[in-house]
Parts: sequence; structure tokens; C-alpha cells
Amino acid sequence: MRSLNYVQRVSLDFTGTLFPHAICLGDADNDSLNELVVGDTSGKLLVYKNDDSKPWITRTCVGMLTCVAIGDVCNKGKNLVVAVGAEGWFHLFDLTTPTASKSDSSSQYEFLSAEDQKPFFTQHIPANTKVILISDIDGDGRCELVVGYTDRVVRAFRWEEPSESSDLGSGQLVLLKKWLLEGQVDSLSVNPGPEGLPELMVSQPGCGYAILLCSWTQQDSNGSGEDAPATPGSEGPSRDVVLHLTTGRIHNKNVSTHLIGSISKGSKEESSKCGLFALCTLDGTLKLMDSSEQLLWSVQVDHQLFALQKLDVTGDGREEVVACAWDGQTYIIDHNRTVVRFQFDENVNAFCAGQYTCKEGKNSPCLVYVSFNHKIYIYWKVELERMESTNLLKVLEEKPEFQSHLKVLGVGDFPLEADVSRHIQRNEEERTINSEADSRVIKLHWISCVHDF
Amino acid sequence: MSFLLCVSLKLWRTVFRNCQPLCSYAGCEFWTFLLNVASSLSSCRMLRESYPFVEDSFSRFPSQSNIYGLCQAGEQELLAATLKGKVVCFRYQELQQKIRPVAKEVQFTYIPVDAEIVSIDAFNKSPPNRGLVVGITFIKDSGDKATPFLNIYCDYEPGSEFNLESIAQSCLNLELQFTPFQLYHTEVQCSGESSETVFLLSGHDQRIHLYKENASLHQFEEQPVERLFPELQQLPSKLVFDAVRPVSHLCGSLFVCLWYLRRAVLQSWRVQFDSPISTVLLFPLSCPSDPKEPSGEKSYNLLVTSTIEMAVVYRDVHECGLSRSMCLSESDQWDAVLCALVIDLDFDGQKEVLLGTYGQELLCYKFHPTGSGSESQFELQWRRSFKSPLLSIIYLDLTGDGLRELAVLTLKGLHILQHSLTSTADLVLERLTQKVTALTAGSELDSAKATDTEEKDAPAKKEECSLSN
Repeated sequence: MRSLNYVQRVSLDFTGTLFPHAICLGDADNDSLNELVVGDTSGKLLVYKNDDSKPWITRTCVGMLTCVAIGDVCNKGKNLVVAVGAEGWFHLFDLTTPTASKSDSSSQYEFLSAEDQKPFFTQHIPANTKVILISDIDGDGRCELVVGYTDRVVRAFRWEEPSESSDLGSGQLVLLKKWLLEGQVDSLSVNPGPEGLPELMVSQPGCGYAILLCSWTQQDSNGSGEDAPATPGSEGPSRDVVLHLTTGRIHNKNVSTHLIGSISKGSKEESSKCGLFALCTLDGTLKLMDSSEQLLWSVQVDHQLFALQKLDVTGDGREEVVACAWDGQTYIIDHNRTVVRFQFDENVNAFCAGQYTCKEGKNSPCLVYVSFNHKIYIYWKVELERMESTNLLKVLEEKPEFQSHLKVLGVGDFPLEADVSRHIQRNEEERTINSEADSRVIKLHWISCVHDF
Repeated sequence: MSFLLCVSLKLWRTVFRNCQPLCSYAGCEFWTFLLNVASSLSSCRMLRESYPFVEDSFSRFPSQSNIYGLCQAGEQELLAATLKGKVVCFRYQELQQKIRPVAKEVQFTYIPVDAEIVSIDAFNKSPPNRGLVVGITFIKDSGDKATPFLNIYCDYEPGSEFNLESIAQSCLNLELQFTPFQLYHTEVQCSGESSETVFLLSGHDQRIHLYKENASLHQFEEQPVERLFPELQQLPSKLVFDAVRPVSHLCGSLFVCLWYLRRAVLQSWRVQFDSPISTVLLFPLSCPSDPKEPSGEKSYNLLVTSTIEMAVVYRDVHECGLSRSMCLSESDQWDAVLCALVIDLDFDGQKEVLLGTYGQELLCYKFHPTGSGSESQFELQWRRSFKSPLLSIIYLDLTGDGLRELAVLTLKGLHILQHSLTSTADLVLERLTQKVTALTAGSELDSAKATDTEEKDAPAKKEECSLSN
């Protein structure tokens, strides 16, 4: 297994403690460059920008923040920062700097300066939140907010506002649906199904996952169809949950499981149908599957994996799976099961991976580790030329002009590989013969003597 | 602590390797040739000012190593010794058309569990003898008294002379009367034309000890160093003399002598440093744009790094001795410089100086010859941080493609840095294109001549191939 060391990192000051889902990377201020958003247990929301060790923006929320997200939750074509506390307080922040949004700059500026620390919208939703997702889950092109709870419930919300009002603050979250699951939900994700429609997936203990059906879309399309449930309250939730248990060596049926979907396959067309998703468990199982339930690979490691992310480290458009263990061991695995390991030297409190603008003023793939000693480390140069070790001959052989050039020069007629190994065997004899040929020898001896007593 | 360093370089061999482009098709020389020939400045600019390496692998070691803990064994393997008596063999294994790094422990026999390895070295025997010889010095600390040993591993069984596993099982155990430091090997001219490779071991007794193979007995034995290295004979008295100076407890003195083949010292120079000297390296440097020197002629330079002061390059030592010194600015900023290497990193035909420091930095200096209004100097080109202090660096071809990799031993393990293959491949293609266009144009005599040698060699190479088939 190839292992390597990343060294280019910046450390950010972070004095609080946080929940594992209270960290995310995204474009919080709509300047096309990504920021890091962290929420701590005392309700502080911190936004870090570039390689500055101090937060760029600090906001205060009500309660203990369990999850943060960045996304266009209001469907206004603008990213907002969402922070949700364990007590159920939902906060919405607009961090777009006045200069960036020129359209309504005057009103925006007034608003921000007046109530600097306050979110522009808060709402109370059911408590015990654990994980959130902002994504289009029903295929209507508009984003929904999905919230996972510690009591095995998942709820989907939609931002709705009176049609006559254009002010953001006038809308509110409307509950779309509630699903009740059998096991704990550790992650929420969306993955393109076999037909290309998005599917909402949640992880289930024991390396399982469940697909949650968005029944409101069926009702929309079918109208009052034949299978409209007579008693929606009692039967609805269980039937809308399609549980899948993956096969294989699972020691513990209750082991905590994480999931990430929509792993890019390189081209848009390929990724949009039959999407790839990955699963990892705390006892060290990693799996890559596609939405037709086909297993692409499975890897067993002896580290406790607690976070799963996707990141394109090779820059070829295909996203690699990144899994992190409590002790800092990080695995980067591509679609062909090539593994690159990296050991972060401390225990990890929370982990995330994604694009972030650290240096050089542009987004680059980064690994973010939250340690237990008041620091967040961002490894900002994690790009690799390739996942596998290779040599120059193999790289050159892939280039057609190399062979043609050699042919012109009269040296390209025999296979490279065979010659290399043979050459290596002979190399040592040849070298010494060469050196013997030159007998007039001038030797220089350099002696350096150092001592003390 | 006191230590002695002995570095003996084969100047002629270095020169031979670098000046004479051998066109063996897939060997190191081929690439060196390709990359050196027609090196245009424009193509070099592409690589310049940036860190040209990509880390390919990192192997964590169970315990720390030291500055004498890394050596090359055979063509494509590295041996790294760790303090707790473990020796790790690193190489690239080819499996299903793919190569992957493998670091595995080699069980060298007769190294007790409580031993602490001081230094390791390995060499291939000079022809006509065949075989790999590995030397390991260690100190066995049984509590009351620490005993130093030198173990020499070498297999005489035909067919297994290069097999590391069987070499590790055949040991010659020598008890030492001194604390060993650096173990080094060099080739010496014995009676007549034959040459032999011997071990040189520096010790705390301020002497250098020579271990030579006794062919009839199939074993190594200590021999007086004076016969083969007369300059080392004078060493003890001088050392003692220097040691009396009350200036500093750590005093480094550099003693350089120009030595002619027939065992006569032509000239010698001595310099006193304020701190211990960590490495000395002799290297040629060609500066075609230097008006003082005729083009094509190389100057020989000596790099000296010490633990406190800045690293120094003495220019033209074969003519000027130690009079023309040049400091490498900022090289004292990152703690002690522990290791150094002089290699051509950007394939422009001119060598760069690499320094590894205890302050976890790898520094690269490039020589800028006298230009308009500026003195010739070494300039810091880039630096790269590591996670732990750098102890030793070796530049060798591990992947078997003719392009060498940089192996960096740090306190925590072994890093393999590979030249960025994408940009190197682009450079090779660019230079090949230049050659092809030069060939097809057929106008330039020089280039035609250059390709001539290549074409001449290519059929010869082909014959060899068919022979070995």
C-alpha cells in the first residue's frame, strides 16, 4: 500500500469543541472561492478564509451547533450558510459581502451593519438534530433541506415564501415528509439512481443503507392514483424506506456506518446515471458501489473509520474516496481500488475534505483535520499526479509521439520493458568494465577530521 | 562527541559518467544524454523556480535512524538501519505491469536484540569478483560494558551473491577496539591493474580503519591503512595537534590533499572550522558563460557543510586550493546541515546543490555564473519542508527507468521523491523533437554527429539483446 506524507499545511485557531458534522467547506460569501465553516458546541459559527489563522467572520447562534452546511437552500441562486443546533434552532446566514452583491447593495449593507451578529432568519424545527444535507432530492431542480435526527428520524423541508414578497426573511421552512428508520442515521447523501433521478440515501448500521422515497412527487404525478394510502400516518413512513444491507464480512450489525454518494466518474453524462457511492464502517470496511447495487470494490483496514468524503486529488475529474480514522490514518482510494495512505499525526476530532482557497487565490483540494488541541489543520497541497507509482518509461510509452520520435532516431524498434530488466542485470558488470578502461587515475581524497575531547 | 569523516571520491569516475554520454538505450546514461543534449534554456525555465519533485512514497520506521543509516545496496535497493537493530530494505516491486514500493525488514544475523546500529554501508565487489557486501557497525550494550562490533555480510555461494536474504545469513563478526562512526567504501588499486573495494571505518580513536577482503580465506580483515592511503597515515598526529587548541570543545578541521595515483601527496591544505563538519563533497561544475574559464572545461569544487556555520563551496580546488570560497547564503537558517548532495535536478547540464537540514528543510541552491554586474554565486532556488529532521539523502534509480529518484531519510522514515513524471516526460519529448527536427533538417553538422553516436550504439545494443535472448 502506497503511503506518503503531506507537509504543506496551515493551522487555524479553534478553541471550542465541535460535533463531527459541524464542519463544512463551501462558497459561503458567493465569491466563487471556498471558505471553511465550523460550528462549535457553544453556538459560535466561525468562518475561515484563506490561510488566516483567525476566523474571518464569527456569528453567534442559539444552542449547541450540531451541523452546518452551505447551499442555496432558499433557491435564490445564492449560497447561504445554515447552522442547526441540537435544540432545534435553525439559523440562516447570508455572508455575501455588500460589494459582491451589487444588485441590492444598499439595503443589504444596512441590514448587515445593523444586526451584525444575528442570523437573518431563525426557525424552530424538531430537536435532536444530527446531520443535514442541502440538495435536490426529488429531481425538481430545487434544493431541499434534509435533516437527520438522533432518534432515527429523517425529515425533509422546503423553503417556501409568499409569492408576492421578494424579501428573504419572509419565507419559512415547510415540512415535506418524515421518515422513520430502524437504525441510527450517520450520514445523508444524494446519489443518481439507475434512471438518472436523484435518490436520497441514508446510512444504516452494519454497512447498510436505505433509500428514502419522496412520496410527494409520486402523489404529484399519479394524482389520486390507485395506490394512494388510505391511512398515510401509520403505514407511510415504513413503506417509503427501502433498506439495503450489503453482503460481506460484517462483524457487528450495529457498527456505525457512513455513506457518501454522487461520486464523480469523470464525465457529466456518466456520473448522472447510476451514480457511485461509498460506505465505510467504524470497524474498517470500505465499499464502493453503484446505484444498481453492484459492488465495485471492498477494502478492509484495521483503523476505525469515522468520516467519509470524496475529493478529486488527481485532477482527472474522477473523485476519489477519502476515509479518515480516529487516529489520523487517512485513506484515499480511487475507482480502481488503488490506495494511498496518509497518516495525520494526531487524533482527529472531525474531518472533512473538499475544495478550499488557502493560498494562491484559487480553490484547491484540501484535507481538513480538527485536532483535540485547539487547532484545525488544513493540508492545502494534496494533489497527486497519479494514484499509482510508475516510472518514466511507462509514462512515455503512453505518448504516441515518443515512439515515433525514437523510430526516426533509429532506436525505437525493440520492447522497452524487456530491455530494461536485462540492462539492469548487466548494468553492474558494464559499469565496472567502463571504468577499468580508463587507467590513468587521479584520485583525490578528502579527509575531514573533527573531534573534541 | 567526536567524529571523523572520511570521504574518498573517485573524481575521474564522476567525470566519466557525466561527460561521456553513453547511449545505452534504457540506462541512466541514456536519459542523462537525452536530457543533457540540446538543453535549451527555454525548456529549463519551465522547471526552474519550482520544486521539481513529487513524493512517491513514505515508509515509516519503527525507531529513528541516524545520519549514517542509509545506503544503496545493489542497483535498485536501499538499506536503512534503525537504531533498535532493525534493517529495512526498500525497493520497487513489479507486479502485473505495475510497480509498487515495498519496505521490508531484512533479518541480518548476529545482531543482538539489545544492539544499536551506528552505521551501514554496502557495495558491489569490483570485478572479476561478484557479490554484494554489506557492513553494519553496532554497539551491543549489555549493561555493564558497551562493546562495538563490525559485521560484514557476504555470500560466496555461486548464484546467491546478490541475494540479500542469503547474504544476511552469512556473517563475519569483528569486535572493535574503538567506537565506530561512519562506514564508507571505496575502490583502491591493488597490485598491478586490478582494483578492489574496501571498507573504511572512522573511529573515536581518531584513526581510520581499513577492512579488505582476503580472497584466499574468503573473509575480511583489518589491514594497515597507510599502504593504500598514505594521507590517512599522517592523520593522527595532526588531529591530536588540532585537538589541543583550547578555542572550542567542538573544533572541526578540514584537511584536503591532492593525491596522485602512485601514493604521493602532491599538495595539501588545512582549514579550521568553528564547528564540526557534517559533509564534504567534491563536484565538477561547468559554467560556459563564465568568461574567466574556457568553455567546456570543468572546475572542481568542494562543498563543505558544518553544523553551525553556513555551507561553503571552495571553487577550483585543483588549482586554487581552498582560497576561493563561496558561502551558501541562508544555509545556516534551519539548524545544522546534516546531509548534502550535488546533482543536476532540472536537467540543464549544470549541477545544483541540495542540503538537508535538521530544521526539517531541504534546500536547493543553483549556481549563477558571473553575469553583467553580478558576482557569481549560489542562490537558494527553492526549499521544501519535511515532517521531521533530514538525516541522509541519496540519488539513485529505484524504479528502473533510468530516471533517478531522491531518497530522503528523516528521523521518522524514508521518503522517496520522484521527479515530476509529467513535466519530465514533456521535457524528454521536447528534446527528442528538437533532435528529430535537427536530424530531418540535416543542416547542422553538430547535431548530426550527436545522433551518429546514438545510431551507432543502437545496433550494437540490439545485437546484445539478441545475444542474451
